[in-house]
Amino acid sequence: MVVLASVLGVFDISLDKLSNGELWLAQFFRGLSDGATYASVALALVMIYKSTGFINFAQGSLALLGVYLAYIFSVEQGLPVALAVVCAMVASSAVAMFVERVFIRPFPPDHVLPLVIVTLGLLLIIDSAVGIVWGFRTRSLPSMFPSGAPIEWGIAQLTWRTIGNLGTVFAVVGLLYLLLSRTKVGLAFRAVSSNLESARLVGIRVGPTLGFGWALAAAIGTLGGALVVPDLLLEPSIMLRVLIFSLAAAALGGLDSMVGAVIGGLVVGLARNLLVTFLDLSELALATAVAVILVVLLVRPTGLFGSTRVERV
Amino acid sequence: MSAMGVVTAGSRQHRRRQIIGWALFALVVVLIPFLIADTYSPTIFGNRYTVGLGNLSQAIGMMVAILGLNIATGYSGQLSLGHSFFVGSGAYLTAVLVNEFHWSYLSTLGVVVPGLFLFGVLFGLPALRIQGLYLGLLTFAVAAVFPSIIRLDEVKDRTGGSNGLQIESDLVAPSWAPLNTVTEWLHAIPGVGSRVPDGLTSRQEEAVYKYFLLVIVALVCFWLVRNILAGRVGRALVAIRDNPLGAAANGVNLAAYKTLSFGISAAVGGVAGTMLAMHSGFVGPDEFGFAMAILLIVGLIVGGAGTLHGAVVGGLAIRFVPEWSSQTQTLPGTDTALEGPYGTAILGALLIIIIFALPGGAAQGFRRIKARLMPVAPQPPRG
Repeated sequence: MVVLASVLGVFDISLDKLSNGELWLAQFFRGLSDGATYASVALALVMIYKSTGFINFAQGSLALLGVYLAYIFSVEQGLPVALAVVCAMVASSAVAMFVERVFIRPFPPDHVLPLVIVTLGLLLIIDSAVGIVWGFRTRSLPSMFPSGAPIEWGIAQLTWRTIGNLGTVFAVVGLLYLLLSRTKVGLAFRAVSSNLESARLVGIRVGPTLGFGWALAAAIGTLGGALVVPDLLLEPSIMLRVLIFSLAAAALGGLDSMVGAVIGGLVVGLARNLLVTFLDLSELALATAVAVILVVLLVRPTGLFGSTRVERV
Repeated sequence: MSAMGVVTAGSRQHRRRQIIGWALFALVVVLIPFLIADTYSPTIFGNRYTVGLGNLSQAIGMMVAILGLNIATGYSGQLSLGHSFFVGSGAYLTAVLVNEFHWSYLSTLGVVVPGLFLFGVLFGLPALRIQGLYLGLLTFAVAAVFPSIIRLDEVKDRTGGSNGLQIESDLVAPSWAPLNTVTEWLHAIPGVGSRVPDGLTSRQEEAVYKYFLLVIVALVCFWLVRNILAGRVGRALVAIRDNPLGAAANGVNLAAYKTLSFGISAAVGGVAGTMLAMHSGFVGPDEFGFAMAILLIVGLIVGGAGTLHGAVVGGLAIRFVPEWSSQTQTLPGTDTALEGPYGTAILGALLIIIIFALPGGAAQGFRRIKARLMPVAPQPPRG
């Protein structure tokens, strides 16, 4: 008992706080909401990793571009937000296909490191291009969902935005599942991810299929960005922070598992909000996420749901 | 066609040529601070570019940082996107030791090197289990965490939190250093002398002294790392990079060498941090965030991963490319000023172009040019 009390003392935890059910619930809802946004960017990362075996560090930047386009369509051109986001998803898909065709496809697909470095270069280019075009002024993008909360318990509010974020992510996962399992292009995509060489031999056009994967990933990433940004303010470095949490989520869930990405995103979101509140670690939001992935990766080096790569030598 | 005749490796001419090359390099290194003590600023296409001695000193610190990254990533092939963490730790360690215990800058290396080595080894332990891109992700996240650790309430009093930390010690040239005398001699040389100032102001003297101090530390680092990598350890690391299974089969202890590579890499990174702290007399948390981690990777690739002189080119590139781009007020033919974010965009473009056209980086380019101009034939077998 004394030990417990001293541990609590070190972390500056008050028992009042721990026994405050409403606070738990409030942070739980916020965690779910944040987690849903991380999950959608993580899903985009996983799409690329599954099909090509590398991590697209420019995923956040493509989403950033998409969110800026959504801002232009909605606030400046006056489209309804949801429609603007859809237009931005289409536009960022087009950009992603172009990027894939010009910068990624010329490289041999089995050499991962140069490709990762190219995506780092793209990150630098796209982020600064956004800064050049739109400047560093902060803007606010309205949310796609109505404000207010249908359900409230004291300070704990289940807002429409939380419901919307979660619903969007699950809808995306559902649609992705249908797309990949029921359509021809989905079949081609799965064939390419499972074995590129064999897929080419049976006549699948590998290049366009991967381009399709990039387009899809950029659309999902943009959607994720549009979910995040209303909580924060839109400025050119915003997606870097989201990218780091999403990378953590993807690594946690396993880089090649879509279910893992969603669960990883939710866990990172919850860990971030709950641990930070109850351990009073407001500066350490990111560090707690890192600690969580470190522990998980030490136990399972390929994440919770990732498959181990078996190599023949 | 070659400018000079083919010489055999190890022959007398070859050795003479090497000696001349190194002597020229030494001459340039020694003369540069005097030549640019009054900021050298050439004008190209109507734009004034500056090559300040301070920036050059900072570039030297970056070179050592890239050298450290090179050991873990370039030589032993473990993607580390978190090298800025080690550089930052070294810088802050130096700053705190100088401020609170009144150590001299150089003596802090006695704590920074072993401390960061141990830290790197600890960091390398999880890296044994977590591999490839997972390791890259984890290190990237660790790099992003560094600024928030510095800002923690518990350490804020020591590290200065968000405001950074001013280091309360100036590097003043000792009275025995003949910097002013040398300046006067150089000034007396006809022709070249007009570029050298008549004498150094105390600020210039400090800058020149700092430059030489940093050059010496950097040379020692490069020399030590070269020796480590030229021997058994270096061969083991390259073997691990190229074929881990083959290396293990040939008796390389993978775990030991991987952790060792992280240890050395971190220690060198820490020295780079000390150098950067020496250079600016100030450390701030955001200097050492993931922006720097990405920048170091850029320098590594642009210079050439897995080569020592690549680190030199890389350090110069990441320091001067953004600087010069922000000084470009008018591009020829257009009125575009390349200020602010353009520098980063140019670095990104450079990174991609290098990967496309010259995967071995600038080092590979130099090697090709050298092979064309001054071919060296391998030594014929004896007997």
